[in-house]
Amino acid sequence: MYYACPQYCGARIKTGSFGLATLHSRKVVETFEESVVPEEEREDAIKRYGVGRVNRVEDKKGTNFIIQWIRRRSLVRYLVNWGRLSSLFPVHLTTACCSVEFAGSVSPRYDPERFGFLNAVGSLRQSDVIVVEGTVTTKMAQRVRVIYDQMPDPKWVVAMGACAISGGLYAKDSYNVIQGIDDIVPVDVYIPGCPPRPEAVIQGLLLLRDKILGEYL
Amino acid sequence: MSESKITRIISELREGLGSSIKEEKIDKKIIKITVERDALVRAAQLLKELGYDHVKGVTGVDLSALKPPENAFEVMYHAGSHLDPELAGSVITVATKIPRDAPELPSLTQVWPSCEYHERETYEMFGIIFTGHPKLKRLLLPEWWSDIPPLRKDYKPPGR
Repeated sequence: MYYACPQYCGARIKTGSFGLATLHSRKVVETFEESVVPEEEREDAIKRYGVGRVNRVEDKKGTNFIIQWIRRRSLVRYLVNWGRLSSLFPVHLTTACCSVEFAGSVSPRYDPERFGFLNAVGSLRQSDVIVVEGTVTTKMAQRVRVIYDQMPDPKWVVAMGACAISGGLYAKDSYNVIQGIDDIVPVDVYIPGCPPRPEAVIQGLLLLRDKILGEYL
Repeated sequence: MSESKITRIISELREGLGSSIKEEKIDKKIIKITVERDALVRAAQLLKELGYDHVKGVTGVDLSALKPPENAFEVMYHAGSHLDPELAGSVITVATKIPRDAPELPSLTQVWPSCEYHERETYEMFGIIFTGHPKLKRLLLPEWWSDIPPLRKDYKPPGR
């Protein structure tokens, strides 16, 4: 049994072969004809198809292009990212009981300064990482967002504990608990647990380091 | 609390309130009496004369999810004593049932001033109006709250 391609390209696909069907559709998407939009019609095209669908070719001249060219070199990227991941200043923000485990994991016994994770001292305007420790209520969510907005770029968010990930104990039937903080801030690393052990926190930090090392500038 | 003290309190309450007591539950540490709505202030005054000088908490219960359902709220005042050493370990509960359609109750802040904040919380969580309360405003819920009171059984949480 065969059925016609849903993209109307004339191909016939065997029924029951989901893998083949997805492969086929991906191929169709790849072979869309790209057309160059002249500069006068560019704004119209963006309005029509959205920013994500219109590719803009970069101008290969000027100081901005040179700076971007240098930033894109892998050695420069590595050095800058290495500097960032080796001195992560966290914000001291305690929302719930996960902060007890967090305080345990920055103790000398576990010593996350080995991995460049410093003590939570100083102002949040100098910080890089915000570790959301536990339940976030709707009233606290505003404060979390304000703190996140006050931090300078680059910044990363770690969601610690089941409540910060998905609402945890308060999922689905609570009237004032945020069901996962990714509704309000972009989260980089999730650390599951209720509360997570210090080893889990350190594993999350290592994952965050890996992520920072692979980032583009 | 000794047996004689319990019997004395119960007999005084029966004498003062008469037939408006609907239900009694007597235990060693907790006594619960259910009275009618009109007799609530009188019961509180009697208890204050007996030595119960403060309220530990005010509880609201929505009875509409019971089986069989009962179209009522139950409001409980848990009173205790600081001054009387014999009563200090005990709690007496005065409860009353009010209909869900007209949730109004006389406030007991004139008798026990310590129940002011508890009544405010019961007001915002159940929508029960305490007449005669000095400052009946919301206490804990966020300022933008526009839904029905959240601890009523017909409230639907938003979820995700």
